Amino acid sequence: MDGKVKEQKKEQKKHQQKNSGPKSERKKSRKLDDAAVEENEHKKNPKAFAVQSAVRMAKSFHRTQDLKTKKHHIPHVDRSPLDPPPIVVVVVGPPKVGKTTLIRCLIKNFTRQKLGDIRGPVTIVSGKKRRLTFIECNNDINTMIDLAKVADLVLMLIDASFGFEMETFEFLNICQVHGFPRIMGVLTHLDSFKNNKQLRTAKKVLKHRFWTEVYQGAKLFYLSGMVYGEYQAQEVKNLGRFISVIKFRPLAWQTSHPYVFADRMEDLTDPETLRLDQKCDRTVSLYGYLRGTYLKKHTQVHIPGVGDFSVADVGFLPDPCPLPDTKRKRTLNEKERLLYAPMSGVGGVVYDKDAVYIDLPRGHVDREQESRPTTELVRSLIDTHATLDAKMASSKVSLFRGSATITDTDVEGDQQLEDGEDEEGGDDEEGGDDGEDGDDGEDGEGNSDMDEAEASTEQPGKLTEPQRVQTGKRLKMSVDEGEPKVSETLAFADSEDDLELSKEDLSEGESAAEESDEEDSESEQIETKAAGSAFCSDEEWTDDEPDVESTMKSEGMEIPPPKTTEKDLKKAKALEIKGSDQAYETDGALRWKDDLQQKASEVFLKHQQAAPNLRKHVYGTGKVSECQDLEAELGGLFRVSRPEKSKTNLADAADCSRFHPDSLHNWDLEEMLHSIADCFVTGKWEEWQDAATLLKQDENLYGDFEDLETGEVHNGDDKDQETQPEDVKVDDETQKKNKRLEKKRRLKERFDAEYDDGDATYFDDLKEEMQIQAELNRTEFESMDDATRVQYEGFRPGMYVRLEIAALPCEFVTNFDPHYPVILGGLGSSEGNVGYLQLRLKKHRWYHRILKNRDPLIVSLGWRRFQAMPLYHIEDHNGRHRMLKYTPQHMHCGASIWGPITPQGTGFLAVQSVSETKANFRIAATGVVLELDKSVTLVKKLKLIGYPYKIYKNTSFIKGMFNTVLEVAKFEGASVRTVSGVRGQIKKALSTPAGAYRATFEDRLLMSDIVFLRTWYPVAVPQLYNPVTSLLLPVGQKENWSGMRTVGQLKHDLGLHYKPKPDSVYKPVVRAPRHFNRLNIPRQLQKALPFKSKPKQDQGKGKTPRDLIRPTVVREPHERKVAALLDALSTVHSYQSKKARGAQRLKHKDFLQQREKQEGEKVKRQKEAKKKLYRMMGQQENKSQRSSLKGASQDG
Amino acid sequence: MTSHGLEYEGCNFFRQRLVLSTLSGKRVRIKGIRSRDDNPGLRDFEASFIRLLDKVTNGTKIEINQTGTVLFYQPGLLLGGTIEHDCNPQRSIGYYLEGLLMLAAFMKTPLKATLKGVTNDPTDPSVDLLKTTALPLLKQFGIDGDGLEMKVWTSRGMAPGGGGEVIFSCPIRRTLRPVQLTEPGKIKRIRGIAYSVRVSPQMANRIVDSARSVINKFIPDIYIYTDHLKGANSGKSPGFGLVLAAETQKGFFLSAELSSAPQGQGPTILPEDLGKNCAKLLLEEIHRGGCVDSTNQSLALLFMTLGQQDVSKVLLGPLSPYTVEFLRHIRDFFQIMFKMEAKPPLEDERKGGEKVLMTCVGVGFSNISKVTK
Repeated sequence: MDGKVKEQKKEQKKHQQKNSGPKSERKKSRKLDDAAVEENEHKKNPKAFAVQSAVRMAKSFHRTQDLKTKKHHIPHVDRSPLDPPPIVVVVVGPPKVGKTTLIRCLIKNFTRQKLGDIRGPVTIVSGKKRRLTFIECNNDINTMIDLAKVADLVLMLIDASFGFEMETFEFLNICQVHGFPRIMGVLTHLDSFKNNKQLRTAKKVLKHRFWTEVYQGAKLFYLSGMVYGEYQAQEVKNLGRFISVIKFRPLAWQTSHPYVFADRMEDLTDPETLRLDQKCDRTVSLYGYLRGTYLKKHTQVHIPGVGDFSVADVGFLPDPCPLPDTKRKRTLNEKERLLYAPMSGVGGVVYDKDAVYIDLPRGHVDREQESRPTTELVRSLIDTHATLDAKMASSKVSLFRGSATITDTDVEGDQQLEDGEDEEGGDDEEGGDDGEDGDDGEDGEGNSDMDEAEASTEQPGKLTEPQRVQTGKRLKMSVDEGEPKVSETLAFADSEDDLELSKEDLSEGESAAEESDEEDSESEQIETKAAGSAFCSDEEWTDDEPDVESTMKSEGMEIPPPKTTEKDLKKAKALEIKGSDQAYETDGALRWKDDLQQKASEVFLKHQQAAPNLRKHVYGTGKVSECQDLEAELGGLFRVSRPEKSKTNLADAADCSRFHPDSLHNWDLEEMLHSIADCFVTGKWEEWQDAATLLKQDENLYGDFEDLETGEVHNGDDKDQETQPEDVKVDDETQKKNKRLEKKRRLKERFDAEYDDGDATYFDDLKEEMQIQAELNRTEFESMDDATRVQYEGFRPGMYVRLEIAALPCEFVTNFDPHYPVILGGLGSSEGNVGYLQLRLKKHRWYHRILKNRDPLIVSLGWRRFQAMPLYHIEDHNGRHRMLKYTPQHMHCGASIWGPITPQGTGFLAVQSVSETKANFRIAATGVVLELDKSVTLVKKLKLIGYPYKIYKNTSFIKGMFNTVLEVAKFEGASVRTVSGVRGQIKKALSTPAGAYRATFEDRLLMSDIVFLRTWYPVAVPQLYNPVTSLLLPVGQKENWSGMRTVGQLKHDLGLHYKPKPDSVYKPVVRAPRHFNRLNIPRQLQKALPFKSKPKQDQGKGKTPRDLIRPTVVREPHERKVAALLDALSTVHSYQSKKARGAQRLKHKDFLQQREKQEGEKVKRQKEAKKKLYRMMGQQENKSQRSSLKGASQDG
Repeated sequence: MTSHGLEYEGCNFFRQRLVLSTLSGKRVRIKGIRSRDDNPGLRDFEASFIRLLDKVTNGTKIEINQTGTVLFYQPGLLLGGTIEHDCNPQRSIGYYLEGLLMLAAFMKTPLKATLKGVTNDPTDPSVDLLKTTALPLLKQFGIDGDGLEMKVWTSRGMAPGGGGEVIFSCPIRRTLRPVQLTEPGKIKRIRGIAYSVRVSPQMANRIVDSARSVINKFIPDIYIYTDHLKGANSGKSPGFGLVLAAETQKGFFLSAELSSAPQGQGPTILPEDLGKNCAKLLLEEIHRGGCVDSTNQSLALLFMTLGQQDVSKVLLGPLSPYTVEFLRHIRDFFQIMFKMEAKPPLEDERKGGEKVLMTCVGVGFSNISKVTK
């Protein structure tokens, strides 16, 4: 039995869910209710959702809307370039924190290369779409300021074992002022913690401090320790990943100014001038990626640490560190992991204006090339087989590509026509190596490789190595012989492209020649001429596109087969026709019909060229030829000055914006009137705008419908079907398809307009507008080639540019240190000028002293760092700018400086000195530019002091304030005041003494009073603008720039001390004891006073009158005895009564105790009695209850 | 601080150079001003223009040599405010206004200028014309609001005597909007003002009738106001003229004007002829077409240049010589080149002559005079 029970217990009965019955129904209904609860909530408990208070509801609505709109930022047009420049990653930190190690590790991580000595910026390709430029920031405040301005991402290294250092905070503050780049913290030296708990707390403390400085949740990395002098690979990899996915917010200053962070510097100064004068100004070319915005030609740049310069020449070069071609793949291959750091001497290919330098490792040099003489000149000499005379005789000149060539013999009169078409094959090959440089190099080409040309007619398209070399020489030769020929070709040129004399071609030819001389056989650097380096220089700017193309091609070594343009064909044909015309002049009269097509194409082509014509008309050779030729000398003394009609007309004509064309159209003609008929609403409309078409389209859109009232059936499609011809062609089908697409588009547009745009806010509209603009910006010049595009847009950010700067101080080159960044910051249109700047300034709260008026400060504003002398001021309530002697402790104040014009809203920071490295915080003040002007209105308070010398009631005569009557006259009516606060007014000057005047006051003055006149005196801001030229200092001393010293420093240095005036010195205050006279109240007044106020004890008692003095009593002996007895008796009595009182008190105490006892007992008794009673009552009640219950149960 | 200056020769395009110099902050030196003329040097109206520039700027340095043939101009910052200027009557107020229109939006405080002198003359665009065409153009670039106003105030003054008064006020802007004015739209109405001072009031009516006779063929919506002024309001010289403006659907204006020759100079013209000729000039302008009429081409191009670094486009009629020179000057001062695409008329289109589509990227100009608080 027991066992059975146990078994039953083991397998307990499972809960069985009821599927039927009331319980299950209840459950089901509850479930249903739950589902419907959400909808029914309002119905179930309408009060809970009723509007209790309209005001509160409005408030909550407002609040949500406010929060929503707060999230919005003003939308900006996205001007980020498609091909962005490398991201500047600045690695900052105090010394010995591991900056260089980190850069090295990151470079190794991305490129698998180890860099030994890192100097200057290092550019690498980090991913398919991202390049990085690493730069290390040393501890110099100049470098910190400069780099904060160009940084996109800051890696802030922090020594965890030490904690934050002052430099870190300084750099953060600099960043805040100049737009806040992305900042990532990196904690190093984490292995120095022995204790794990200590490490954790240190991390936490540092993290929170970092968050308060940057923003809550800023990324902080931990590099736990070193392995063989490097950070752990996995950690570096993670950091690299973070860097390559980080996103950036555009910074105001950076996006509105072009800038180049130079990664290469070349001195271009002529060696001869350098030899003559070691300290001459240098011409320097600086290279780097253009960032920020478009760079225009001839812009001014500021090089922080050097000064302002105007760019002599800008050109773009092929990207030395290009992004991989866009292909669908996940990772980069080894070839694409590029590294470019010219200052550190790394980087495969270095391009220049006219050359490419390839740095090859020793093993890669081709043996074949080594065996040949490396100098091109020598090579060309070896390859020459014929003498010059022979060549001259056999040389040919072809005026046009593909046209007949003119040989020596031709010139002598024998008109020999050669078939241009036949020659085409041979010329094709020529085009292959020298392209279209024909303008100047044609005859050189002809005479130098006559034999080759013949050879090539047999083997078209084949070009061996020596021949290629020949082309180089050819070019060189063409330089001297080409020039006379140019004019000759000019005469025949029919397109305006040929009219442009391409000087560039010549100069490039020369430079190529120079280069070949320079070539060095021992070095592993092989110079090749810029193959297709699309460098565009100044001269070419005026040229046309085809010309640029031609210069590109001119030195092309590996250029694909020439593109014979339409134009060329046309020329060739035209000449051919001409030739044939000459030859067969007598031929039929209907000849004109033959080349009808040709003529038509010619006309068409001319039309095509209209656009460049317009451009040429406006921007082309705008210079009118000088009238120098007209000035003929008369007898070597006088010059005949003949006013040239046309020129003076142009230069001195009436300045009028009206457009009076030479000939108006004849508007009386019906034909003319007809030509503008469509300009009016009454004219014919475009098909897509025409009301009739639109109506029809609508009809088509909505298709068939039946008018229910009339029962008429409208068929939308029948018209189309009717109009369509029976034979359906493919063309029609496409048309139909297009129509359908159009219809669809329209429908969608309508739908969008109805549903999407309905709740579109202003913000959405604005955003959309910006997006459209951005799209337009991107697409407008997309199809152009770079050379033309830079003319319109300027150089795009992301291009690798070369900026040539003339007249740089020689110290820049001689003291060049790649560890210091060279930045070329482009300046806006009027940012090169100087003026007065009004700033809002606040002393930094961590700077330990206040700033003194007129003490020189070094300000970092815009790109610049300069010393200026600020005047501090504060604005009074009436708008007056009152000068202050010192900056307020914890308040903003105004500051006025003389400095470079910088747009309002630009932030700045100020330091007192850039040379010292102190433990203290160095940033003295920060602020923002408010206003720019060419004059300032600062005033300081000036109190003029005078003394009254005659006083009549309220009028006084004051002297000593002015010196002449005139001065007084200027201040008539001015209000004056005395020290005691009596106000008055200047009335009139007095004749004697000079400068005295009459004034009236609101009260009578005393002779001891001093009268003030409060005036405001304008102060001038000192015009000191002293750029910090720290980059010009010798290597190793670049941190020691010192400018103008403050007065305090000067005094300290010269050992001077201020001697105060004896009057100004504080002396101990000596006060004489005060003495007050008695208050005398007249008797009458006393009488009238109430008793309270009447003087009472004030009067001395005075002498007691005689009658009131009582006589002294002298007792008799008996009386004395009685008194003694009475005395004794009273003493006894008092003792006894005291004793009795004591006893009585004791007795009473006893009594009280007794009574208390009794009371207690009584209470106890009563309690017990009550208890008994209550028990009884309770029992009784219980009984009765029981009995009643019994009764109830009986009832139930 | 070496902001390199520019050098020019001759007095032509004088205003362009000074205005662009003021906006770009570049110094300018103009040499050989009428140096070969019998009466060399700057004329009074040019001096008056310089004085006007001096009034609206602060810190401008002007040096003129003894003969007035060399001018050195170092611009200051634009100040604005309320100014009053007596314009030299050799040129009409339009000459001065064209300069001010280019500068007014970039002042420190909004400009409110009262100009006194000749309101209408045959050479320069008149106040009425600039009011109808230039102000809507400013609005396209975001310079609009209550403050924008230009009108003939109290009196009209004809050449040569003058005596008219014009007020021009303009709000200030920090930046300008990029524009895409590529579709001019069709002309929906023509408005005009026929004015007459110190002549018979009937003159204006005669002008209106004759002008309507020409343009009524195209569009019926024509209204030409007559403006006859008497007494003190009529200036010092007699004269009459007509200003016509055609408004397109898109809110662009094409305009033409003609004014009688100054008293005692040139041949007299009948009001009927003037009306007809002016109407024909308007047709000529319509034939040229574009979104901006030929007088204001340079203004539109300037504001495109001074825009943000965005692409702006405008469709113009053939470029006037003044505009062509202006484009060159823009290249000198701002290094901006315009992309010019000629748009020849299509075969079956009857919309006048060849148009030019001008495209440029702005320099990212911002008003450096405006105060931020």
